[in-house]
Amino acid sequence: MTTSSDARVPAGTVLRGKWNGRSYRLERMLGIGANGQVYMAVSGLRTYALKIGMQLEDLQAEANVLASLDGRERKRPPFLLDVDDAEWQGRLLPFYVMQYVPGVPVKTYLAEHGGAWYGVVGYRLLNRLSELHAAGWVFGDVKSDNILVTDYGRVSLVDYGGMTAMGRSVRQFTEVYDRGYWSAGSRTADPSYDVFSVAVLWIHALDGKRLLHMTKMLLPQNRHPRELMALVRSHAELKKMENWMELALYGKFKDAREASAHWRDRMRAAAEEAVHNSRGKVPGWMAGLFAASLLLCVSAAAFWLLQ
Amino acid sequence: MRQILLITDGCSNVGDSPAIAASIAQAEGISVNVVGIVDEGGIGEQGALEIAEIARAGGGMSRIVSPALLSRTVQMMTRQTVQGTIRGEVNRELRQLFGVESAAELPPDKRAEIVRVMEDLGETAELRVALLIDASASMKPKMRAVEEAVRDLALSLQARRGESAVAVFHFPGERSHEACLLDLDWTDRADRIGPIFGRISMKGTTPTGPALLRVVEFFRETCGKLETEPQHTAPARRDDTDGMRSDYVV
Ligand SMILES: Nc1ncnc2c1ncn2[C@@H]1O[C@H](COP(=O)(O)OP(=O)(O)O)[C@@H](O)[C@H]1O
Ligand SMILES: [Mg+2]
Repeated sequence: MTTSSDARVPAGTVLRGKWNGRSYRLERMLGIGANGQVYMAVSGLRTYALKIGMQLEDLQAEANVLASLDGRERKRPPFLLDVDDAEWQGRLLPFYVMQYVPGVPVKTYLAEHGGAWYGVVGYRLLNRLSELHAAGWVFGDVKSDNILVTDYGRVSLVDYGGMTAMGRSVRQFTEVYDRGYWSAGSRTADPSYDVFSVAVLWIHALDGKRLLHMTKMLLPQNRHPRELMALVRSHAELKKMENWMELALYGKFKDAREASAHWRDRMRAAAEEAVHNSRGKVPGWMAGLFAASLLLCVSAAAFWLLQ
Repeated sequence: MRQILLITDGCSNVGDSPAIAASIAQAEGISVNVVGIVDEGGIGEQGALEIAEIARAGGGMSRIVSPALLSRTVQMMTRQTVQGTIRGEVNRELRQLFGVESAAELPPDKRAEIVRVMEDLGETAELRVALLIDASASMKPKMRAVEEAVRDLALSLQARRGESAVAVFHFPGERSHEACLLDLDWTDRADRIGPIFGRISMKGTTPTGPALLRVVEFFRETCGKLETEPQHTAPARRDDTDGMRSDYVV
């Protein structure tokens, strides 16, 4: 019996765990990536996310990371719920079951709800990352697809294939988000590795076209944080965070906690600037009202005079 | 752990069969991976067959990719080969100790433990990767991508806990009796790698088999010597061994 599973399992299939005996009906595929396929699955009355691995050891390694994190963060309900194998069409499918996260990737969220949300999403993301760092882990594969956003900018990380113990080589990363790719540092897992990727995430989410164009045009020896900074400076929304971006891309933050505090300060400053700029300069819709009421006054005066 | 990574864009045309050379490499404990690198032109059926055959003979894997995907592919293959080697060894130990075919037959909690050990070994075992680059005329436009891939691989290896190094050869050599030439001796410093292929003249012949044999020889010459050098980083802890971590860390 083979244990690899690159063929898709159709929706409606019921997988029964060989060791723990629980059954899951696959409802629909949520996503497919380098390490496996993730389905929405139902067992009893509850909905879960179920990941079928291409490779038994890779999947188990991810489950190990999740189990260790659950053990460490006991104040919240566990994320990893079951690890098992199922037999399907003569093959052994290794899988694990986790909480279902009803969110959409960051990039999609911002496209749907507006770029103004990136401040709070970024703040929540940095806080989550600093919790992981405190537990001795680096997330590694920070990118839009692996960060799901639910109501009001709440952030959940999925895909722990890149999660790496501090000081080891990052297990899995995505080129454009990798600081090594941008000649900005090593691939050894440390907090600023994740913070760098977060900076790239915002460039990707808010100015993806120009970022991807740049990666195609730049010669490898010219990949450098200053190129990313050039994008930041010439984009209205990103420019508000220019200072933060610079510190993140050049690896100047001590850790994600510091990056998060700085992010919050920048957010506050940007909000104040916005208020300040609008003082004296009446927003367009109000100016319209003002003109209308002025017109009313004039006509009222005329009416009065002509009486 | 030892690997040869052959990067080529076509067929060998001089000397012994490259599959035989790859098989010899594997017998010496060296895995042979092959990347076929292609532009729009494609690689031809003959070339594709040879690439797959060399990898099979050398116990490695093969891929055919465009220059833009080279770095990523090299990185991924190296990593997977390390994991494959370790999984193979650990599974062999499992067979001997517990009489099971592989980790898949163990219950999830035992399996979790085994995979943790595999991950530790994958990160800490010594690793040497020799790249062997086809420098025939048709490869000329792709050499920039190759250099970039070497540097990228060095960067990844440098991040590992275990001692790691890359070396680079190209073939054919300058004179007719040289199958290949050493461009970069074992190094683990990505930032010290300058231009690698400054002075190669692209020649017509492609002696893949003899070049592979020469690299196997190089491993024998240099790695014996290297093992006697004082080690500055502590090797994987093996005092807590239960037989699992015994003798397969090269
Ligand atoms: N717990 C979850 N809840 C909801 N959707 C998920 C969950 N985990 C993964 N997904 C979806 O499935 C996709 C692929 O899963 P992922 O773990 O990233 O696979 P891979 O490691 O192969 O990239 C994700 O991008 C996400 O959209
Ligand atoms: Mg993913």
